[in-house]
Amino acid sequence: MTARETEWISIPMTVDVPYRFAAGRYLTKTLTQLRDNGRIFAVECPRCRRIQLPPRIVCAQCHVRNGRWVELPLEGTLVAFTIMFLPLTDPTTGKPHEPPFVYGSVRLDGCDSVLDHLIHAEPDRGKVWVGMRCRVVLRPPGERVGDLSDIVHFEPLPDQSRPGS
Amino acid sequence: MDDLNQYQPFEVDQHLTAHGNYWAGRAGSRFYRALRDRRRILGSPCRNCRKVFWPPRSICTFCFSELREMVEIGPLGTVETFTLVTYAEPVHPRPAPFIYAVIRLDGADTGMAHFLDEVEYERVHVGMRVRPVFAPQRKGNILDILYFKPL
Amino acid sequence: MKRNVAIVGGGQTYHRARRHDVDQAEMVNEAVRAALKDAGMTMDEMDMVVLGNMEFFEGTHMTDCWLVHATGAYGRQGLKITTGGTVGATVVCAGAHLVASGLCDRVLCIGFEKQEEGDTGAILSGVANPLWGRSMAGAAVGYFAMMGSSYMAAWGAKEEHSAMVAVKARQNARKNKYAHLKLDITVEDVLNSRMLAWPIRMLDMCPASNGACAVILADDKTAKDRCRKPVWIRAMETAHNEQFELDWRDVKTKRPIFSKVCAGRIYGRLGVSDPKTYFDVFEIYEPATWAELVWYEDLGLCGPGEGFRLIEEGKTNIDGPIPVNPSGGVLSTNCIGASAMLRVWEAALQIRGDAGGHQVPKEVRRALTTAYGGTNWTVMIALSGALDD
Ligand SMILES: [Zn+2]
Ligand SMILES: [Zn+2]
Repeated sequence: MTARETEWISIPMTVDVPYRFAAGRYLTKTLTQLRDNGRIFAVECPRCRRIQLPPRIVCAQCHVRNGRWVELPLEGTLVAFTIMFLPLTDPTTGKPHEPPFVYGSVRLDGCDSVLDHLIHAEPDRGKVWVGMRCRVVLRPPGERVGDLSDIVHFEPLPDQSRPGS
Repeated sequence: MDDLNQYQPFEVDQHLTAHGNYWAGRAGSRFYRALRDRRRILGSPCRNCRKVFWPPRSICTFCFSELREMVEIGPLGTVETFTLVTYAEPVHPRPAPFIYAVIRLDGADTGMAHFLDEVEYERVHVGMRVRPVFAPQRKGNILDILYFKPL
Repeated sequence: MKRNVAIVGGGQTYHRARRHDVDQAEMVNEAVRAALKDAGMTMDEMDMVVLGNMEFFEGTHMTDCWLVHATGAYGRQGLKITTGGTVGATVVCAGAHLVASGLCDRVLCIGFEKQEEGDTGAILSGVANPLWGRSMAGAAVGYFAMMGSSYMAAWGAKEEHSAMVAVKARQNARKNKYAHLKLDITVEDVLNSRMLAWPIRMLDMCPASNGACAVILADDKTAKDRCRKPVWIRAMETAHNEQFELDWRDVKTKRPIFSKVCAGRIYGRLGVSDPKTYFDVFEIYEPATWAELVWYEDLGLCGPGEGFRLIEEGKTNIDGPIPVNPSGGVLSTNCIGASAMLRVWEAALQIRGDAGGHQVPKEVRRALTTAYGGTNWTVMIALSGALDD
């Protein structure tokens, strides 16, 4: 066969899908409180007592309606992390997070869920560790919109050092 | 929790953008090369079923046999059904209004959806004979046929 | 099960990063024809076709309609299933339900992905809640990286241990003529490969593959009349994680994790007390090296925190006492919609003794397969060569 006969044809395409997402009554309360008052609210399951964030209407484990609202402190513990060397795109803005950066899972004190976010620490694995204490850094009140980007990042609490170092 | 009613329901408008590149494969590439390079329209015949398929394919839809051959179909064809599109959608390839028709090319057993131009909508009818108008600069996609028009 | 279900045939494509020579239909058809040939059956003998892929990963929706000629579904019953990375195994589950219930005697199951054609990153971001996590979606690499850092912190494993998994996978892939990444690599090569998200390097991750797999399921009578080496589906189980409770990256968590829950259920059904001796081979879903070490522990092949010892001691090598992924696994071939079905088909080949270059060098009577759907749920399927075994 000639080169012409084995030329494979392709067709580029771009699909843009607009959508409207409704948070529902439970997440609405948490996002409104985060935006307007800089406070983080979770819900507690009346049966297993787990405190769940984001809040949801039903405890998946117990199949009962979650009731009591609990305000969480803005401090927590890093349970897992990575140092990202890929320029991950924020799909909601189309803008990349510039690598390298620290990305991790934080459990706010008293909460059973974890929260994935940027960790404002040097991208050096000697300076970040599982168990590190961190606190929430919020955008200034007027700049908050009511989603997870109202948290700029977590920052390590001062005066702590990596165990064993 | 009653206090939930004090909050204005939260909704956000977002969008997902996905890029892709569709590969036309064996039968498809042969079809697009013939269209682009020679202004020929090809279909896939199944000798077993005595059908000629468009768009071309490597497997017969009816009997599952492998189709390796391709034959020229058209370029003349017959309008099988049509409509006038009068609303705009971002996914439309051109602004409304336009006539959209399913055209069965001579020698094919299936129809091709395409634009029908150079004709008043009131004059279009099922059974109308049409021919394709090819783009002067062809790129290897279905818009290498700009539109069909009445004979 | 009401009726026994056997795998009576199967097939796969050669998996590659580029398949410009075929469209999606032509690629899927390669696997379908291979499966029919292997079973010695024709499309007319199929009662139903079940198709699966990862939704929109090739930029096309309703692939059951697009591919109706290539799958053979035209003119017969057909179903399409989409459940993320698990889908290949979900399709087998659905097919097995159809046969076990008596609705069908012969079902053609197909999984495929033509990853190069779509935008997997953009589509995967749709997995996250738009208001709680989508802006921070860490991609698959980020999640597995956190699993790795948590694993090392918890148990004292080193990056060398995950590198050993990468080497085992690619060396096994070299024995598998269908595999995508057949790399003659060493632990040093892995540690020297580009860092993506510490501790995950390029060679710690699966490739993006194009490919398809098909298996034919049948009832007792068909299996006994038509198939020389039927492989029986003995048990199937699924388990989901709770949404937002992504504790699976916290490897010391006491919370119920889908993988452990599912393993417990399927072992309960089969009366398995020691999985590493009960099963002769495992085909697990490991898109990243650390996931394999965590699977070892979640499946109970060793105790908590001992997974890295298994790889260190070579226990899970193709010629070891607990062979895991002799095919090269997902780390060597990841055409997502086909990947979980490839686990099942590769396990069946091992039981038949037909795996060729990557056949485990011991008698294989029983096998266990797993899958990942996102990282939130799994499908497990247990197979055996004899119904009374
Ligand atoms: Zn509960
Ligand atoms: Zn035919």
